[in-house]
Amino acid sequence: MSDLLKRGRLLPLVLLLAALPFYVDAFWLRIGLFAMAAAIGAVGLGLLAGTAGQLSLGHAFFLAVGAYGYAWLAGEPGPGLPPALALVLAVLLAGAAGGLFSPLAGRVKGIYLGVATLALVFLGHHVLLTADSVTGGFNGRSVPPLTLGGFTFADTDPELVVLGVPFGAEERLWYLGLALFALTWVTARGILRGRPGRALVAVRDSETAAAVMGVDVARYRSAAFVVSSMYAGLAGALLALGFRRIVPDYFGLALSVDYLAMIVIGGLGSVAGATAGAVFVTALPLLMTRYADHLPLVAAPGSTGGAVGPTEAARYLYGAAIVLILLYAPDGLHGLARRLRARVPGRRAKAAPATAPTAAPARPKEHTP
Amino acid sequence: MTDRTTPPPELAVQDVTVRFAGLTALDDVSFTVAPGSVHAVIGPNGAGKSTCFNVLSGLCRPASGTVRLDGTDLTRLAPHRIARLGVARTFQNIVTTEGTVADNLMLGRHALTRAGFAASALHLPSAVREQRAHRDRAREIAELTGLGDLFDTPVAVLSYGDRKRVEFARALCLEPRVLLLDEPVAGMNGAERVRTAEVIRDVRQQLGLSVVLVEHDMGLVMRLADEVTVLDFGRAIAHGTPEEVRRDPEVLRAYLGTDDTGEDAA
Repeated sequence: MSDLLKRGRLLPLVLLLAALPFYVDAFWLRIGLFAMAAAIGAVGLGLLAGTAGQLSLGHAFFLAVGAYGYAWLAGEPGPGLPPALALVLAVLLAGAAGGLFSPLAGRVKGIYLGVATLALVFLGHHVLLTADSVTGGFNGRSVPPLTLGGFTFADTDPELVVLGVPFGAEERLWYLGLALFALTWVTARGILRGRPGRALVAVRDSETAAAVMGVDVARYRSAAFVVSSMYAGLAGALLALGFRRIVPDYFGLALSVDYLAMIVIGGLGSVAGATAGAVFVTALPLLMTRYADHLPLVAAPGSTGGAVGPTEAARYLYGAAIVLILLYAPDGLHGLARRLRARVPGRRAKAAPATAPTAAPARPKEHTP
Repeated sequence: MTDRTTPPPELAVQDVTVRFAGLTALDDVSFTVAPGSVHAVIGPNGAGKSTCFNVLSGLCRPASGTVRLDGTDLTRLAPHRIARLGVARTFQNIVTTEGTVADNLMLGRHALTRAGFAASALHLPSAVREQRAHRDRAREIAELTGLGDLFDTPVAVLSYGDRKRVEFARALCLEPRVLLLDEPVAGMNGAERVRTAEVIRDVRQQLGLSVVLVEHDMGLVMRLADEVTVLDFGRAIAHGTPEEVRRDPEVLRAYLGTDDTGEDAA
């Protein structure tokens, strides 16, 4: 983070995000919070599927472990631990759940792992429905708000007004989400650009090359799965805080597929791409629900007419987005942005003197189909 | 990192046999790579040279026989453990990974570095320092192999010869004590071949390592090798200096061909 801030590229964005609660209402802050939570989960899945080349359809399961883990650990019935501690433990719990799966995650490759993880979602959903005492069964359970040193991320306790803006749960959770997302961004970048990231790319691109360079392939595969599960756990806990009540039906296969959609739309293997995809996939149905009245062919929520409901319409839209992305920009929004940036003349001129020899061979590639 | 003060180890291949579903790819092959020497393994196509390399690097487990690196039996070890003992290899068909030349060379430093998920994620000073130090060394090796100008270039845009060099440099980044080169000059033009041969000779002198070389280019073998093992249909039919091997009647038969296909004749 610090080196990025020094270069100053992210600073305006960070300031903008930090200032938003003073200008926009709770609806937008909620969208932002869910997008940030989804981005954390998507970054984790991107690390597994994009970087390590391991498909997982079980992401919803680990989101559920994080969400229910937090709710149970911090709540009643449950041990009632301090919520901050419960949050940390929920993340570790999700990591441990991923670790339990590691005998499989370390040995099974690519799409086969996808099929194996599919079982987790159904298993998880079943457990959530039946283990009433922990999960509250079909009706779910409420999520205790997070407290940190006497400060509660809820509407009251303490009442808070900053610069004339009353700080309710949405405003407070926005900053919590921002902080956790920043943590995710920094840690995921560190992993991807460091030794583990290079090893994972090698495992994806050539198992044999990775092995003869000293990479323990099975260990790195399971480690990627564990780390991905931990990000999912964090995302799940943050989602739970945003929802304030969690129900089993949310953590179904469709959620896993949503996360896959996020990383495909955003572009595999990049933190920024996963974030962009997460914002797109999360915000779209919420926005369509809100503006259903103004959209053609989309019914208002709750109406029983023949038209398509906003949530389904959003699914169609991002389904179409996936098809378009796969056809015209297989490297996702991230790749699209990179190519657009390369076409802006100012940037290229700036970059050219520093990397003159590399700019030349890189150019022709843009024009090859 | 580079303080391999001990002399390179002896690599002894003894009675190695590999069978693939009825085909005997290697049949009781034995040879010893003297410490610090260049040992060439030659033979016609399908003679078992690449299988031999796969056994040495642990990718293929022999049905019988041992490969000893200063007493350690490599045939029981997984490939990544063999790499950690200082055995590096290149592939006949280039195998690079996505990213820049630097990324590929840093992969070669994997076995020599420690930073794990937690240290990298938290940007711990130790991880940052380690990455910087090893990147410097990777750059040195890039300079040594003529990749200095291409250090930050994506591998995907490089020419065939340059990618071949990336693989070679990546293997060197392991600071190997034994370097296995599978056809290092295949597909290169004359000038590139001469240059690669020079680099191989240089690194062997500078870094003091043993080199095992599989190569079809006889000129290169004759110039570089101290000793040659000739394989034919999975059997070692001759050993010796390049001069001796060149005059060996068995070898001539294997290469030029007679109606006797290398059975225990004469």
